[in-house]
Amino acid sequence: MKVRVKLIGPLMYEAGFSEKDIELPEASTIEALLSMLTLSKRRPRIVTRNGRAIVPQDILEEGDRIAVSPLYSGG
Amino acid sequence: MHGWTGSILRINLSTKSFRRESYGEDFARTWVGGRGFAAKILYEEVPPGTDPLGPDNKFIVALGPIAGIPAPNTGKAVVAAKSPLTGFYGDGNLGTRVSEHLRKAGYDALIIEGKADRPTMLFIEDNKVEFLPAGEVWGKGTYATNDFIYKKYGAGVGVLNIGQGGENLVRYAVVRSLEGRAGGRPGMGAVMGSKLLKAIVVKGTRPIPQADPQAMKALGFGDLKKVGQIDKETGWSIQSTTGVLAWCNEVAGLPVRNFRKTHHPEAWKIDGERLNNARIATYGCPNCTMRCGITIHDREGRESELDYENIGLLGSNLEIFELDQVGSLNYLCDEYGLDTMSAGCVLSFYADAIEHGAASGDFKFGDAETAKNLLTMAAHRDGQVGNLLADGSLRMARAFGRGSEAYAMQVKGLEVAAYNCKFIPGQALAFGVAAIGAHHREAWIITFELKHSTRESYGPEKAAKVIELQRIRGGMFEFLVACRFPWIELGWGLDNYPKYFNATTGLNWGLDDMWRVADRIYGLIKLNYLREFPHATRQGDYPPAVWFDPANADTDGPIAGRVLERDKYDGLLQHYYDQRGYDHRGIPTRATLARLGLEKEAAAAEKYGSLT
Repeated sequence: MKVRVKLIGPLMYEAGFSEKDIELPEASTIEALLSMLTLSKRRPRIVTRNGRAIVPQDILEEGDRIAVSPLYSGG
Repeated sequence: MHGWTGSILRINLSTKSFRRESYGEDFARTWVGGRGFAAKILYEEVPPGTDPLGPDNKFIVALGPIAGIPAPNTGKAVVAAKSPLTGFYGDGNLGTRVSEHLRKAGYDALIIEGKADRPTMLFIEDNKVEFLPAGEVWGKGTYATNDFIYKKYGAGVGVLNIGQGGENLVRYAVVRSLEGRAGGRPGMGAVMGSKLLKAIVVKGTRPIPQADPQAMKALGFGDLKKVGQIDKETGWSIQSTTGVLAWCNEVAGLPVRNFRKTHHPEAWKIDGERLNNARIATYGCPNCTMRCGITIHDREGRESELDYENIGLLGSNLEIFELDQVGSLNYLCDEYGLDTMSAGCVLSFYADAIEHGAASGDFKFGDAETAKNLLTMAAHRDGQVGNLLADGSLRMARAFGRGSEAYAMQVKGLEVAAYNCKFIPGQALAFGVAAIGAHHREAWIITFELKHSTRESYGPEKAAKVIELQRIRGGMFEFLVACRFPWIELGWGLDNYPKYFNATTGLNWGLDDMWRVADRIYGLIKLNYLREFPHATRQGDYPPAVWFDPANADTDGPIAGRVLERDKYDGLLQHYYDQRGYDHRGIPTRATLARLGLEKEAAAAEKYGSLT
């Protein structure tokens, strides 16, 4: 199964990419996907699937667009 | 009294006179400083009906007990006046060395009244005030004016100045300082211009009075270092505020095409990653270790310092996706001293009105070169079009008619910041009930809405969050006075701020004491609004009508088919009023005003409008 991952702001420098497709087993969770990325766990984050916020236990589907972002508080 | 100088400098430009005025501990503890001082002074001294661009309006520069002291990020000042854009209390903050110098000159605030008989520059040095001719720089932009001042007084002085926009009374002209700093969105620069006041230069040489200067020094410098370390660890300032652009595009919250669209496939061309790659310099405010002013070369090769709001409103909202062209529009706004946010909304509204047949003209979305010409025309009030654009989107809509007010993106006359709330109810409320019009400074709750509530909710939790953030952002940070970024962007603890306050004042306040002052200031600004608009209704707290229009719904993406719902928004607004203790119009009740200690101010307001 392939999903598209977009990292927002400084997270892209932590993980070493801005946007790419990632292969993972069917029925993987968001949590499993996040564990594949080299992101610091110290800072609060918000994860969205196709523009809607989700929780780590949610199951991914083929073609999902996942954005991982620092928890912005709006300038 | 420690922490406060206990003095305000009153300058009359008509009579070229000045005097030091003392204030007592009661005033200091009730209003603290910054926005609190400004709101109270303007309430007492500028009666309703005063022409905002006439000599009877007053221009205030206000600082607070931690302003100018080395601590995270205290190099800011509040500028305020009756707004020529909104017709009631208006203010803004900007990074400036005036913060430190005015306090070192022995003042916590400036009150500037009257009108000069010719273009004037004020030079304040400790007890001295000079009224200098400014003919040499009148008609020049803010960069040239700043250079002229630095050449004359040295680069370390505090400067506030205006460009052609302020001189020509553009209703959204700002006050400028340092390389890229600007503040006072609702036309504070135009108020300076109306007084023929080109610049204020301040040099102070005395120590700022503090209860425990040694403890404050150790605390302040130590914490500045820690904030800098957190910034390095998190990498926040690699993209600074512009990191959020890509996220807004993901969640359908980006302003595109006068807010008619919420995302765009080309948004990546102007995002934080591209901006960082194009960076040639970084600027920041005094006392800051997380500098956010990412600077690039614009299309004409000039330095242009960008942040998210500039790019959102002068870029995606105009469907301009060339970063150097966005830089050019931003440079022109900075040079002319125009608010980039209002300027972006004014241009997008103009293009939209032409497209919808409400106005004539050949300006189209995506046309950066014409946008540049229009900004120049607005700044100089050049011809009929320049004059229209200079008056802001609400007045433009009233001139155009044909239902165009529905898509003039403003609340109470102040243009909306760069967050598209077509289907973000809580943030729409935040814009609706912001103290001075649609500013993002006071409450920003979009990640809260998506992560801790649901986007669809119009529940009381969102009203509560808006109030919580107003107390922090529109309250405490605006009256202390300090930049909110260490807290909002790096998670620097809020409880640090009472520590700074207590070290400098010798008092023993906690956050609850801060919230009480914040609520008092919000209440007073509402009274100011009521005095100016005694027949105001809750409709004044509604966001632009186009966000409720099903015909404007997205056709694709995360919020396809969705818009705000009017009856539900009204319910959310009522939650806010109930929690605040405001009446059905959004005005504090008598009981609330008494709780806030505003009985005297309430009695003064009742001469003009009714209270419940």
